[in-house]
Amino acid sequence: MKEPKIIVCAKQIPDPEAPFSNVSVNVEKKEVVVDAPDVISPYDENALEAAIRIKEEVGGKITVLSMGRKVSDTVLRKTVAAGADALILLEDAAFERLDSRSIAFVLSSAIKKIGEYDLILTGRQAGDWDSGQVGLILAELLGIPSISLARSIKIKDDSVVVEKLVPVGYEVVEAELPALVTVSNEVGELRYVARTKMMALLRRPISIPKWGTKQLELSVEALNPVQLMELCPPPDMRRECVFIEGASSDEKAGKLAAVFKELR
Amino acid sequence: MGDILILVESKGGGLEKMTLELIRGAEGLAKELSTGVSAVVVGADTAPLAESAAAYGLNKVYRLEHTLLQGFQPDAWVGALEWLCKEVSPGIFLISHSFVGREVAPRLAYRLNTEATTDCIGLRIDPADKGLIRTKPIYGGNAVAIVKTEGIPQIVTVRKGIFEPAEPAATRSEVVSMAPPLDESLLRVKSLKTVEQEVVELDKANVVIAGGRGIAEKEDFEVLTDFAKALSKTHGRVLIGCSRPVVDKGWMSSDHQVGLTGSMISPDAYVAIGISGAVQHLVGMIRSKKIIAINTDLGCNMFKVADYGVVGDYKEILPALIKKLEE
Amino acid sequence: MGPERELFWKIGPGWLFYALAALAVGLLLVGTAAHLQLWMKSSLKGKVAFSREALKQTLSDVFLGLRVLKGEVAAGIMHALIFWGFLVLTIGTAILLVHEHLSSFLVGTSHLAFEVAMEIGGLILLGGILWALVRRYVQRVPRLERRLEDALVPLWLLVVVGSGFILEGIRLASQKPEWANWSFVGAWAAGFISPGIAESSYPYLWWGHALLSLGFVAVIPFTKLFHILGAPAAYYLHHSSEVSIKASLFSRDLAQAPVNEDEVAPETGEAALDFAETPLNLADIAFYDACMRCGRCVQVCPSAGAGEAFAPRDFIQATIRALWKEHSRVGDIRLFTKDQVIDPKVPWHCTTCAACLEVCPVYGAAFEAVSKKRTTLILEGTGVPDLMNQTLERLFNYENPWVSSKREKAAWTKDLDIPALTKDGKEVDFCYFVGCTTSIDARTQAIAKSFSSILKHAGVSFGVLGEKEPCCGDIARVVGEVGLFEEKKMNCLDLFSRYDIKEVVTSSPHCFHAFLNEYPEKNFGVRHYSLVLKELIGQGRIRFKTNGKRTAVTYHDPCYLGRHNRIFEEPREVIRSIPGIQLVEMDHHGADSLCCGAGGGRMWQGKELDGEARMSEIRVREARATGAELLITACPLCLIMLEDALKTLGFEKELRAMDLNELVLSSLELAGNNLM
Repeated sequence: MKEPKIIVCAKQIPDPEAPFSNVSVNVEKKEVVVDAPDVISPYDENALEAAIRIKEEVGGKITVLSMGRKVSDTVLRKTVAAGADALILLEDAAFERLDSRSIAFVLSSAIKKIGEYDLILTGRQAGDWDSGQVGLILAELLGIPSISLARSIKIKDDSVVVEKLVPVGYEVVEAELPALVTVSNEVGELRYVARTKMMALLRRPISIPKWGTKQLELSVEALNPVQLMELCPPPDMRRECVFIEGASSDEKAGKLAAVFKELR
Repeated sequence: MGDILILVESKGGGLEKMTLELIRGAEGLAKELSTGVSAVVVGADTAPLAESAAAYGLNKVYRLEHTLLQGFQPDAWVGALEWLCKEVSPGIFLISHSFVGREVAPRLAYRLNTEATTDCIGLRIDPADKGLIRTKPIYGGNAVAIVKTEGIPQIVTVRKGIFEPAEPAATRSEVVSMAPPLDESLLRVKSLKTVEQEVVELDKANVVIAGGRGIAEKEDFEVLTDFAKALSKTHGRVLIGCSRPVVDKGWMSSDHQVGLTGSMISPDAYVAIGISGAVQHLVGMIRSKKIIAINTDLGCNMFKVADYGVVGDYKEILPALIKKLEE
Repeated sequence: MGPERELFWKIGPGWLFYALAALAVGLLLVGTAAHLQLWMKSSLKGKVAFSREALKQTLSDVFLGLRVLKGEVAAGIMHALIFWGFLVLTIGTAILLVHEHLSSFLVGTSHLAFEVAMEIGGLILLGGILWALVRRYVQRVPRLERRLEDALVPLWLLVVVGSGFILEGIRLASQKPEWANWSFVGAWAAGFISPGIAESSYPYLWWGHALLSLGFVAVIPFTKLFHILGAPAAYYLHHSSEVSIKASLFSRDLAQAPVNEDEVAPETGEAALDFAETPLNLADIAFYDACMRCGRCVQVCPSAGAGEAFAPRDFIQATIRALWKEHSRVGDIRLFTKDQVIDPKVPWHCTTCAACLEVCPVYGAAFEAVSKKRTTLILEGTGVPDLMNQTLERLFNYENPWVSSKREKAAWTKDLDIPALTKDGKEVDFCYFVGCTTSIDARTQAIAKSFSSILKHAGVSFGVLGEKEPCCGDIARVVGEVGLFEEKKMNCLDLFSRYDIKEVVTSSPHCFHAFLNEYPEKNFGVRHYSLVLKELIGQGRIRFKTNGKRTAVTYHDPCYLGRHNRIFEEPREVIRSIPGIQLVEMDHHGADSLCCGAGGGRMWQGKELDGEARMSEIRVREARATGAELLITACPLCLIMLEDALKTLGFEKELRAMDLNELVLSSLELAGNNLM
């Protein structure tokens, strides 16, 4: 069996686990303001973990691709510290807030530029917009089979065997390489990356290619931003609570039973 | 402009509730556009499901039938739906944000040269260009985006419980059989086997009774189970849920967990017992139709989002309530 | 001929004995060398400095045996009997050799004294061994294991001593010297033996006794007897390495780890990083190796006591076993040891409460061994529990381990008019370092509020860092994330120097401990608030109201205040100085206090590691047994754990958990003070 070349697409987003008080909406600028550091989208971290486990089992090489208007290599070097072999940043002012098709298009251009690959892994959805489209569209663009919602991924000869989440449990499916798999959190969290590793890595000069529209030979007109008409704060969750009073638990239970009868 | 098309999904041989919700949603949009609603049933044997769908007064029910459409093989389904859309040119294609919809919509949209919007919680028509305006929560529900996309058909997936389910209509729909030209070469992913696991499908429950950190002992969930039994005689499917601390304690498996990292549900009634109401829990159950909270702490968050609140000890209230319900 | 002993009476050839003795000593040396080689290979390079003071302490530990006696008088006496008996017999045997080959001085009275001493030595040893066997196999002291080795070693020694006495008896029976009665045990034994049998059996018994004795010497490095050599070494290393190699030091080594140039990836120019594998120093290994499984640590470990899947002894044994297998060229030379399967979760149980160190006869800090194992796991990355992974990510991103943002750190000061040192630039007596938990957690904010009220009452000028307050990093340190700790430390040091902070007072014993002991570069003073309270009371700056009502309170020692930093008395003095307050102690208090279960990062581990009982519940049950109305503590983590346990057990009505500040504030002579 040859050692697979794996590409992991990882998106940099404001920490979706940020405390709620750190998240606000700027209605005028149509922006979600997250007062939190950027992180790698959690499902993409799961995808990276899946890739590293494959590498640990059968060998191979992992290249991480990340795109955005401004991508921070301090955030993304974590992927290298965790076990990825190479990191390529797709960075361009034109890459801001693109729709899923355009993101997939840029990624596919970059992957074609990389050339050889066996397996592409993406998170099942990004932690900011939760759309879950880019991976599947990317597979369509590249004309390769796609498998979504993986909970386990194994390479067997020239194919990939995936346990894919389905409503009743999981389905074991197989596709020939090259293929694309979107990864769910059931795969497992990305291993912890010790700060000593990160610090040592940051201290070293490492070459991280940055590709923009120019390097990818893309015309800006081919890229469509999301047509965001409005951005609103979340609806208020508060309801008017009717408290069921009563001198005893028995009395309260009686009144509560009446509420349930009404609900029927 | 073409019809609004909806993708029919089945459950246990009948129509999935989400499909009925889609029909209701589509009807509203169709009125604004002065167009009709049609549905497509996909499978190897579509007759029974098409018959069920036909009862809802749709314009047309397409039977997209082929042996390769047995079960849900995404490659075949996407291929068949792509073919159908090219044949019948719908203006809008509504798909449930279900297991099937999540996979089909993005790929289908790509092939039809358009862009889907997934997990929408609101749909309306732009009076200016008749485009579909989609409302979609982002950033874990911390913001709501309102977006449009180009291209026909306009494809969206719709979150469960956004519309009321449609009722059967007086007129029957016309059922049209379509034979998509599919062949084996389409299938690039081979299914080896399906492993069924016993999971609690909280999203299928009419009522969810959930316990949290306030439940003192594992054994106390028996009282909740008794309560569920009593309630299930009159209120349909009643299931037991919990908040994260209960799972952390190992008292319940994670498929019972409600919240950001568990199930996102919207049952008819949600009974929160001893759950203080951390935001991560609230996002999972806030869309329940009625929320009833039982807690000893008057100041807890759960009372702020509840419709009914009982301040008291569940150990006393639940047994009394079970007795009253059985009377 | 006066009283004397003929060493090789009826025994020949003497050279055979010496050959065997040489073999035994050779085995002892070879085995010991294997131990030393293991120590050197598995520890960080470092010199062992000679220190007269350390030597003195080592000798006192060895000969007084106070570490063994401490807290366990029965075991201590048992050990002392064996130790002294063994020592007397060993020295006696050596003297015999000197007498035989160098100068024959054991003649006459000195011989008689020698015989008496040997008799007493033998009896003491015999008594010690029998007592040891009784403790292990009759009393069945719970902390003692009963492995094959545990029976063989004392039985062997028993046979050596017994055969020695019988041998003597035989010798006396056949030689019948007039001074026989000086060897009173031997003479007594001789009474049972007929001279004829005695004379014919003597050579056989002599060789038997000789072989067993020499064998005993030879097996020292191969059994738990190695502690005879290992423990003194561990004592010396413990005393000589006053400042053990702390987290901060080895983390720097790791960050500057050499890069293996051969492994530079061609595409990225990235080099594989070569991290030092072991964060252990010589004193650690000596302790692991000297551990003879006495189990005192297991007896006091709160995690083990709560029925969790953790025992410090087993952890240490597994660690030393792994080191033998990894670093020794010949593998594990010890007999009777085998591989132990250790669940990957095991190292995450320890609360680092230091109870194990308190009782360990060889100063073994099992909790440090655990922290070091965690360091390895953190570097590997795959064995870190999800909740800990998330906690560390939060600590890195948000300066606190809770699900909260940094700007909420000042929320408690709202409406309180507390100067922010970052803005007001005011001259103050000290910076009150509130700490993550105290500033964020709704319950523990009361600590900060009441402490600031007391300070205002006493007219103390102080300020806080508010939203800018960083995390001290201690959680990262105890869970082995030494790099993150280093970052947090630098961050704190920078901030303190930027705002010219010279005095720091903390809410949390954890921050206190970190600043005091883990920030060697610091140039500021640090105190825990309990010390400030005591000082203010001493200066008469805190006035208590007179109180007719008597309230019984009990005090829970936070581990990082008490055991780690020996602050036992000050908080108690504060409590005792309050009129109407009567302090009653729990069974476990002071240095034997029981941990609440929050330390070592456990606070943020959820409940997945909990055993049959929760540590906090065990603690509050003990507190309730005192009959006190209030359970006072001086740590935000303890407060959360104890209060939670009181609620869970339904004790809230009879016993309330309170911070020391809250108690003091409620007793102050203030207008409208009716908090109690």
